[in-house]
Amino acid sequence: MSEYFGVKVEDIFNTMPERFRPEGAEGVTASYGYSIQGEGNWRLTVKDGKMKIEKVDAFSSCATVTVTDGETFVGINIGKVDAMKAFSSGKFKVEGDFGALAKTAKMFRKYVPPPKEMSTREFILDMFATLEKRFQPKKAEGLNVSIGYDIGGEDGGKWTAIIRNGECALKEGLVGKPTVTLQVQSAADWVALMLGRIDPLSLLSAGKAAIVGDAQLALKLGEIFSPYVPPGEKAKELEQELLVLRKTISVNQRFATGPVMGKFLKGLKDKKILANQCPQCGRLQLPPREVCAECRVRSTGWKEVGPKGHLIVNEIVYYASPDPLTGETRETPYGSIHVLLDGCQGNETFWHLLRPDQIDQVKEAWEDEKGTRLRPVWAEHRTGSIHDIQYFEIDS
Amino acid sequence: MGHRKKNRNVAIVGIGQTRYSSHREDVNQPEMIQEAVRLALKDAGISIAEVDAVVHGNMELFEMVHQPDLWHVLGTGAYGKNAFRVTTGGTTGTTIAAVGDNLVASGMYDVALVIGFEKLQEGHTTGGITNMADPLWARNLLTGALTGTTASRMIKEFGEERAKRASMMMRVIMDKHAALNPNAHRSFGLDFDQMESLMANSPKLVGELQLIHMCSQSDGACALILACEEKAKKMTQKPVWVRDHITVHREETFNLFGNEPVEMTHHFAARHLFERNGITDPVEYFDVFEMYDPSSWWGLDWLREFFLLEGDEHLKLVENKEIMVGGKIPMNPSGGVIASNPIGATALVRVAEAALQVRGDAGRHQIPKSVKHALASGFGGTLWTVLFILEKELTGWGDAK
Repeated sequence: MSEYFGVKVEDIFNTMPERFRPEGAEGVTASYGYSIQGEGNWRLTVKDGKMKIEKVDAFSSCATVTVTDGETFVGINIGKVDAMKAFSSGKFKVEGDFGALAKTAKMFRKYVPPPKEMSTREFILDMFATLEKRFQPKKAEGLNVSIGYDIGGEDGGKWTAIIRNGECALKEGLVGKPTVTLQVQSAADWVALMLGRIDPLSLLSAGKAAIVGDAQLALKLGEIFSPYVPPGEKAKELEQELLVLRKTISVNQRFATGPVMGKFLKGLKDKKILANQCPQCGRLQLPPREVCAECRVRSTGWKEVGPKGHLIVNEIVYYASPDPLTGETRETPYGSIHVLLDGCQGNETFWHLLRPDQIDQVKEAWEDEKGTRLRPVWAEHRTGSIHDIQYFEIDS
Repeated sequence: MGHRKKNRNVAIVGIGQTRYSSHREDVNQPEMIQEAVRLALKDAGISIAEVDAVVHGNMELFEMVHQPDLWHVLGTGAYGKNAFRVTTGGTTGTTIAAVGDNLVASGMYDVALVIGFEKLQEGHTTGGITNMADPLWARNLLTGALTGTTASRMIKEFGEERAKRASMMMRVIMDKHAALNPNAHRSFGLDFDQMESLMANSPKLVGELQLIHMCSQSDGACALILACEEKAKKMTQKPVWVRDHITVHREETFNLFGNEPVEMTHHFAARHLFERNGITDPVEYFDVFEMYDPSSWWGLDWLREFFLLEGDEHLKLVENKEIMVGGKIPMNPSGGVIASNPIGATALVRVAEAALQVRGDAGRHQIPKSVKHALASGFGGTLWTVLFILEKELTGWGDAK
């Protein structure tokens, strides 16, 4: 399909249903054929104030058939070619009832080509050309920083936004050492990000973007600059306001331990680690459980184990998640460990934490090789909780 | 395990999915659910009046709305109908599919609508998952569903380079599949030549689990309509028959990190389900597998569990791209959970996507061969497994024992 004046022939036909004016088709019952050389044949059927357009192989029972070329057809529809001139020069022929064809003029609103898609390079230039205008001084009070933009690829470029004394100035290139530099490998990704089509975390996790320098400042950029709006879309604000309500739920809770877990927690207060034992299969459980889920009987036996043992698994956690019992963000990295305490065997491991400065100094167990020997570090004030053991550390 | 033959046959007759996205701030929860319900009804060619029972499910603590089915009744259409709410963590989606199947198979209801949804942007996912653990001990230690133990074990078993490359290759394959699925939340346009740089640059979460390996956090809803054989045959030319499903869970899994081998719930489920259905070679039997793959380390490891494979057979399936669309046993042509993860809907999406493959209606991510037998899995909580077998034909698979 070729384009004429930036419009395809099929664009004219495909938009007919949405351009149709039933009031202009009142009382008309007819079929119209359009033969566009090199493009194909279409048939328009109008009946009872409704219309149908379809691509056809041959015309049957059409009141008129219009024969023309793509350039003339598109040109007439978008007002670039004079219809009478085309008709008299023979570029636009009508077979059949010319009067019937004239009625179609009232049936459709004029075709208006959609705004042309901006190229990535045009977007990039417009985004930085409007950056100073989008600066929000109130959100940048007291900030004396510079933000580097390093956008890769042919369409990219480098800019630095210097924010000082409530004003923002944009310079080309990376000036000095910016407080934070946003690096994006592809200009198309930056455009998609600015238009809200992808989220920044996705780019970061795919290794397609990086934040160098003050990451906290990077998080604030959405406030310091108002969102980018492409040209011509300013009037396109949502008719319906969409609001997001922010809520924080904070609930004080109390959890009863029951006698089994209670005995174990009381043991920690006395610097003892107590496992309980299934009377049928003999396995130990740490922390203890009321029943052995496999044998479905009460675990009634008790055995003091550890407190030292060997490391089995050391999970180094880098992701800072909230502690759901306090709401505080956990400090990272930390080592979440499973230890086989002395007196335990097989899968009777104990789950706790490793001393933070030792997380990369220990060895996990594998097959016949034992992991690093560890000992618990007890808290001074013990209350009968998991925190009675601060963490395990290397036993040397 | 006690298991009886169905009272009557049940088919999936309607499938509806919203697009999956990081932000659906244009709609509230019932509005989003309604999108999926409307599409499923349209697909089945019925109105809500013909639905007898509605099953609703999502994660309990993610949006912090208790009994959300009350609010959501505006979008589910459950008003005045037999309505059930089910929540089983990540498996919720497959559990509600199982409940829908059981409700219809029992003869109690002819047509059931099952709906899974999640709006993860409205809460805190990792915080929500951590709350699943017991508050007396494990909640202090858990970091949501993030764990590097599988990566660590696989690196020990297969060597660092081979294990890391295989999991990243699975990640890239999933990304390529997601690119074919217009509903998918994330598709980065990754290619195999980027594997080295992804391994080097993607931020670490826990151990060798990197951000790029991990599933997304998505908003979205999925709805399925299940009908008894008599009605299904009237409603659609392409019913997808629910042959069998199994649910397995083991509460202690958090604590099992010792030296003794443990049979994983996935393996247990697959072993029992295939045995009672007379399936001896699952890789040969199934044409497609929609797996609940929360990370590309788990996805890789679990291929061995679900297909009852030995040694490094699962690595070879990935390394030889047999799990890719066009391969021997395509896995997650939809892009899987790594691409889209509205958790309460996620497992239901596996069943829905497997059913679309059986129908031949998956669009651009339809696999290029006839799909007669499909497998779909759900995963959640302390290693729950729900496993589904879907069939194109109602006959030819013998009597379930």
